[in-house]
Amino acid sequence: MSDFLETTVDKFTFKVATDCFYNHEGVWAKEENGRIRIGLSDFVQQRSGDVAFAEVKPVGTVLATGEEVAVIETIKVNITYTSPVNGKIVEVNPAMNDAPEAINQDPYGAGWLAVMEVTDWDADCAKLLDPQAYFTIMKGQAEEEAKKL
Amino acid sequence: MMVKTQKVIIVPCSGIGKPYGTVSREAAYDVTEDLRPGQTQLVPLALLVLGDEESRAIVAECPAVTIDGCKLACAAKMVQQSGGTIAQEFAVLDVYRRYKDLKPQGIAELNESGLKLARVLAEEVAVVVDGLTNEKPGGQNA
Repeated sequence: MSDFLETTVDKFTFKVATDCFYNHEGVWAKEENGRIRIGLSDFVQQRSGDVAFAEVKPVGTVLATGEEVAVIETIKVNITYTSPVNGKIVEVNPAMNDAPEAINQDPYGAGWLAVMEVTDWDADCAKLLDPQAYFTIMKGQAEEEAKKL
Repeated sequence: MMVKTQKVIIVPCSGIGKPYGTVSREAAYDVTEDLRPGQTQLVPLALLVLGDEESRAIVAECPAVTIDGCKLACAAKMVQQSGGTIAQEFAVLDVYRRYKDLKPQGIAELNESGLKLARVLAEEVAVVVDGLTNEKPGGQNA
């Protein structure tokens, strides 16, 4: 069970899971028994809107950090997200095909995107943001968004 | 045997500025003006929000079909808050997921795909209306 850092901006509350690491786009990565589960942060899913479709690269795809891992179509936009790690996709969340709204409903749980096999998690992790660092960046982004309302 | 035919109230999303809200309204117009004009009545969400007494009375008396443009589901919530009974809730996104090639774009004026999506949605609403009014298309009692 994840713990969260939380902030409320305007009428929106955003959570950052403390057991994940993040890239600057808000893609989280979490080590689980030697493999890395990835997904989208709560801020990213709230900012993007209701997810209509999620297309994740198929199992077997080898990705370098920064390469496209998923395209998410929401009621507002189409967004491409990049892999936070170097590795191979070994599992794609089946919910992305038939119930991609899981991203909105449970971004750190049932809404995960994929599981990846990585060769050097320590090296990848060192380039990612820890929860507090991402929380600070995310809060700034949320406050910028709020000014547009 | 006479079958009492009650009008079905159609309440679409009032969201302005997003294609999915526009699809919901376009579908509502299709149903109330084209597909089932005799069996349905459109009630603008804005009137319910403003507490318009006539609109609230209609909603309280007749079954309602709501068409929402996003997960906030304002139409469904306002019908419930107005004392109405929701016979069926529709969400544009659910229909779009089944018709991925009909991506709605445009706000004041929908693109062709958006209009087609609205029509598909309207036809699904019409089936629900038929079930609620015990009528076949064209207005004859079953």
